[in-house]
Amino acid sequence: MSKQSPIDDTYKYGFSKPERYVFKSKKGLDERVVADISFQKHEPEWMKRFRLRSYEIFKRKAMPTWGADLGDIQFDDIYYYIKPTHDKARSWDELPPEIKDTYDKIGIPEAEKRFLAGVSAQYESEVVYKSIQKKLQSQGVVFLDMDSGLREYPELVQRYFGTVIPPMDNKFAALNSAVWSGGSFVYVPPGVRVELPLQAYFRINAANMGQFERTLIIAEEGSFVHYVEGCTAPIYTTDSLHSAVVEIIVKKGARVRYTTIQNWSANVYNLVTKRAKVEEEGIMEWVDGNLGSKVTMKYPSVYLVGRKARGEILSIAYAGKNQHQDAGGKAVHAASETSSQIISKSISKDGGRTSYRGLVRVERGAKQCKSKVVCDALLLDEESRSDTYPDMQIHEQQVAIEHEATVSKIGDEQLFYLQSRGIPEGMAESMIVNGFIEPIVKELPLEYAVEMNRLIQLQMEGSIG
Amino acid sequence: MKRHILDIKNLQVSVDGRSILQGVSLSIHSGEIHAVMGPNGSGKSTLVYALMGHHQYEVNASNGTVAIDNELLLNLPPEDRAKKGLFLAFQSPIAIPGVTVSNLLRSAYQELYGSSTQGNDDAVQNPVLKRRWNSTKMTFQEFSKQLKHYAKALAMDEKFFSRGIHDGFSGGEKKKLEILQALMLEPKFAIFDEIDTGLDVDALKHVSQGIQTLVKKGTGCILVTHYQRILQYVKPDVVHVLVRGKIVDEGGAELAEYIEHHGYGKYV
Repeated sequence: MSKQSPIDDTYKYGFSKPERYVFKSKKGLDERVVADISFQKHEPEWMKRFRLRSYEIFKRKAMPTWGADLGDIQFDDIYYYIKPTHDKARSWDELPPEIKDTYDKIGIPEAEKRFLAGVSAQYESEVVYKSIQKKLQSQGVVFLDMDSGLREYPELVQRYFGTVIPPMDNKFAALNSAVWSGGSFVYVPPGVRVELPLQAYFRINAANMGQFERTLIIAEEGSFVHYVEGCTAPIYTTDSLHSAVVEIIVKKGARVRYTTIQNWSANVYNLVTKRAKVEEEGIMEWVDGNLGSKVTMKYPSVYLVGRKARGEILSIAYAGKNQHQDAGGKAVHAASETSSQIISKSISKDGGRTSYRGLVRVERGAKQCKSKVVCDALLLDEESRSDTYPDMQIHEQQVAIEHEATVSKIGDEQLFYLQSRGIPEGMAESMIVNGFIEPIVKELPLEYAVEMNRLIQLQMEGSIG
Repeated sequence: MKRHILDIKNLQVSVDGRSILQGVSLSIHSGEIHAVMGPNGSGKSTLVYALMGHHQYEVNASNGTVAIDNELLLNLPPEDRAKKGLFLAFQSPIAIPGVTVSNLLRSAYQELYGSSTQGNDDAVQNPVLKRRWNSTKMTFQEFSKQLKHYAKALAMDEKFFSRGIHDGFSGGEKKKLEILQALMLEPKFAIFDEIDTGLDVDALKHVSQGIQTLVKKGTGCILVTHYQRILQYVKPDVVHVLVRGKIVDEGGAELAEYIEHHGYGKYV
């Protein structure tokens, strides 16, 4: 069926492979489908009940009335669970050729050669490939797909699953809680530093297929881990839904960095709930890049619940034609001396729309908190649009809150300057855009920074030519 | 050394429909230094920007011409004028945050002296190819060596290479960076727009030494200036006086001195 899809050659990563499935649920969602997912996965009873309860909440919850337009999502026209192969491959060689081929195209073997700590790649709804290096095991670090995590560490999962983002949180968190599949489970024992980033790649490969991965990261006291997630998706003929939930627990003095580059194809609704609970002196850093999708609504959050906890959110959004990136961040200061920083950079082009939506809340009793919010928007033409919706709810007196917002147009004078040096207009434009997002790109692991710059360049040069 | 000629004939330029330059003509050869002097509002900036091809300056192309070695420039975008050998040192160059000085110099050099016309698509698809040095004029090592050499001559710290273009630069640093680019990009003709404003004596010396080095390498230099301060350090071969959009007088270095003492009163 992928062969029938029209190939949009402006989307350079738009390739898809023949589908090969063992099990595919029927389209649409009801209790049977939810129970069936749980049955197929041989889950414990509590998880089945959790899913069914979440499904009830999903049905009751209204669609969000704010943010991007979600009116075109057809919940009945989506496959909620697809199981691609029976067994997960243990090594690269065991992967089916077409899956391997897909990963070859997005460069995973190369990435692995660069001393990655482990690769966990999600194909369809299930993680099929995983290699965990011996070092991780010897440190006691657990890096599994969520399904295996539930099987192998049932107590840990039951203790933390859904505690940071309960199904009641929002309609899409409820949906994910009902039908989740895949994602990662990471556990870092006390005091352990995972020096190399843990990486997960995934992509959607079936038309009309929803992707509902669920990630849970637990960083014990004094530990450190950097988790990296990147995705590129093929082209589809009808709308697709990606609705993930990421829960992170940062214990006392621990530090977690979570990096995402999202480049879904232009028909995907990308509605993700990401939240970290940060305990005393813990640090949570979200680095979030949103390039693709039709609509993205994503606001990585930090709940600072322990004294001196710190949260940082760096977010880049790029919106081209027919795209709306509604992104930002949320920092809740629930303890004294906590600090947060939200830096958001957005670029709109060819009529694309970006919105910064952010919340900083300081709870009563949380004294001497600090927060800084910077949002810069760059508009590349007259048709494009950018809005800012900052929300500050400050219930304490002794706080230091800074907020800066700028909207700029790509400068004629900057373009002229570079052109006067012999640099053609399209290239000059992409240099300026890359310069604009540089403060965030420099925080990315090298191969992601390279990919980010390349993607921006593709977007720029594709339309200027 | 090949001798080039930049030939400006009857250049007429208007801004927002208002005629500013009313037929300016001048010719300059490789290795020469010309000064274009004039009071405020005489059209100096218009001349500078129109030559480089800024889109806000409307050139009446049916009458006048600008050519380097008989190759016409007025219908070309700025980047192609640069490729024909024209360079502009800006009076108040704009900052481009996040785009480093070394990125600018490398990119510009390869655009100007690239060894092949390999398609951008290839370069984009293959980041290794993209990053591969693409010039036969100098190797990348030679380029880097030369960059360090000129930076040292201008008393510029190498840490400037990794800063954003003109981002947070002082007035003097900006002017030096403009000169550094001219030295690295080796244009046939370079225009310096009010290069001496805001410079202290030390910076002025470095900047004028830079211009002299450029002249020795064969670049023809046009110094556009209100005052003759820079001309005490860089002696012009020819001085053109621009008043109300026209060249009203021409002469040698002594003309600049005359203006220094008597001002532009005689011409207005």
